[in-house]
Amino acid sequence: MNLGFLCSTAEPWPENAALYQQLKEEQILLSDNASSLAVQAFLQMCNLPVRVICRANAEYMSPSGKVPFIHVGNQVVSELGPIVQFVKAKGHSLSDGLDEVQKAEMKAYMELVNNMLLTAELYLQWCDDVTVEEITYPRYGSPYPWPLNRILSYQKQWEVRRKMKAIGWAGKTLEQVLEDVDQCCHALSQRLGTQPYFFNKQPTELDALVFGHLFTILTTQLITDELSEKVKNYSNLTAFCRRIEQQYFEGHEKDSSTTAAHSSKRSLLR
Amino acid sequence: MGCPGGGGVTLPRAIHGKPAWCHGLVDTAFGHPAGGDDLTGLLRPGGFGLRERQAARPAARSPLPAARSPLPGHEARPHLLADGPQFPRVFNATSGALFYAFLTHCEQVFSPALQSLLQAYAKFSGAPLIVNTINNCRRAPKGDLPVLVSEDTVVSQPAKILNFLRRQKYNADYDLSAKQGADTLAYIALLEEKLLPALLHTFWIESENYCSVTKPWFASRIAFPLSLYLPGKMSREALNRILLTKGGPPLYSLTEVEAQIYRDAKECLNLLSKRLGTSQFFFGDTPTTLDAFVFGFLAPIYKVCFPRVQLQEHLKQLPNLCRFCDDILTCYFRLTVSGHSPAGQDTADANLQKLTQLVNKESNLIEKMDDNLRKSPQHPPRKLTTLKLAAGGEESSPMSRLSP
Repeated sequence: MNLGFLCSTAEPWPENAALYQQLKEEQILLSDNASSLAVQAFLQMCNLPVRVICRANAEYMSPSGKVPFIHVGNQVVSELGPIVQFVKAKGHSLSDGLDEVQKAEMKAYMELVNNMLLTAELYLQWCDDVTVEEITYPRYGSPYPWPLNRILSYQKQWEVRRKMKAIGWAGKTLEQVLEDVDQCCHALSQRLGTQPYFFNKQPTELDALVFGHLFTILTTQLITDELSEKVKNYSNLTAFCRRIEQQYFEGHEKDSSTTAAHSSKRSLLR
Repeated sequence: MGCPGGGGVTLPRAIHGKPAWCHGLVDTAFGHPAGGDDLTGLLRPGGFGLRERQAARPAARSPLPAARSPLPGHEARPHLLADGPQFPRVFNATSGALFYAFLTHCEQVFSPALQSLLQAYAKFSGAPLIVNTINNCRRAPKGDLPVLVSEDTVVSQPAKILNFLRRQKYNADYDLSAKQGADTLAYIALLEEKLLPALLHTFWIESENYCSVTKPWFASRIAFPLSLYLPGKMSREALNRILLTKGGPPLYSLTEVEAQIYRDAKECLNLLSKRLGTSQFFFGDTPTTLDAFVFGFLAPIYKVCFPRVQLQEHLKQLPNLCRFCDDILTCYFRLTVSGHSPAGQDTADANLQKLTQLVNKESNLIEKMDDNLRKSPQHPPRKLTTLKLAAGGEESSPMSRLSP
């Protein structure tokens, strides 16, 4: 966690703040796209302008090895959690109006999304053999020449599989993982109910995170549609995604990821 | 996580060989190997599961609801399970189905948390469980522990065990709304993400704790020569898990990772405390799955006496969480807060009696010496007010005479 930003609270948010991620059309994977979209949504909700810059080596530029990361002034901060804290130190916060119990709930739900949805996305793209062969390997190493692309892919796959084994997901089958996703979506759907946002009238970082993951799942074409079907079962979640897309991303065509995508790996939300 | 190698079934061990906290928590160490290798023979009469089942079902909700285990008139017998289908009938809130289950487990890396969790859930929902302890993971039906065996089905992971119990209509979440069910899932994820690494660290990686408490405890329960290898293996796995999930850049050294995970754990405890507030359980007056999970994670932190206890100290600053643990222990595990079971209380009373008898004998001796002193010519006769030869009856006067 980058604690150096605490000394930069006096500076206002600059105009040239940049968000770095991997190449949108050819390289970025499901989980990274979800995280990046979550951060973009959060910054939009805070009304903080940011440019999205795509670089092939974004993962290596990041201080923690994870995308996305933002470059603001002379600070570099990566991942949603530290970015939220950094933005709060600058004086913008979405969750100030919540009381203590609600803040606890919000943090718990964010952990649920990270624990279940993000891990399921990682499992699907690195541990499911069909997806790995057909989608992940070609995409992950695409900016690099052979044999570097294969070596980097194998290395990353080995790392992710080690982590899955440590947390006990290595023994799960795809059906079990999809069931976990379903359970998570069910919980989110129950929590959302008929409200516009998770904490009634105002969006919070939880809304940004959920939007990032669910929108990516809904709009990414994989080998099968099973994952997106699980999310489509819950109509209030799809309505939630559409609402946030319309409110925060329409009219920001250049920055958002809902730009008409010509690659075969994307399909627009209908 | 099956472990290799053979080992005997659990043999009864003397209480003094076990760490102190086990007496205060769930004591399931003793099995009587009545059937030799047969798992069904491992039954401890008067064990916690059985004692719970003798409690009568409460008619109305009391402030601290008693365990919903309605088996009046049942007496625990070691050979009960060998009788097979004669297992006592169970009536629960929704059906009168005949039900039979026993749970086997042995200590593993998560076991203090998991065994407390599952037994707490079973007690909250009224499922009759017999808890068996085995030392050898291979003896469990699937080689994977903890395991629930019920009639023909074998269920092996905690989440699945809870689902199984729910499908059998032992549902502690019956009264919860859908939103509360979703909250349960979210808080469980929070516990696993934030609190579990610190728990693992306290038990397995902190070198003082590991060497003085965890390793001897586990090694004493596992058969030689596995006891030389398994604790080390569990410790390495715990370290691996922490480093892989929490140890990415920019945290490069173990001390930085430790600082981060303890910060996270303390924040998690604060969040739980805020969520609990002043109510008795997390969702009102009756305990639910979330209470079982929180209890399962908090009880080892709260009760085990470690040399390095920063998490325990932080927990003790949150009085509502301490009260929550104590309530569940006294109400559902029939233990007093000081950690003595009622049987233990009897032995304590017996010890106290012996002590007072010793003290009386001492006081008699001292009085005789006093008499001799008085009779000696050097000292003038002293006026003695309360000199009485206590005949081994009341202990109060000798005690008061002995006090300075």
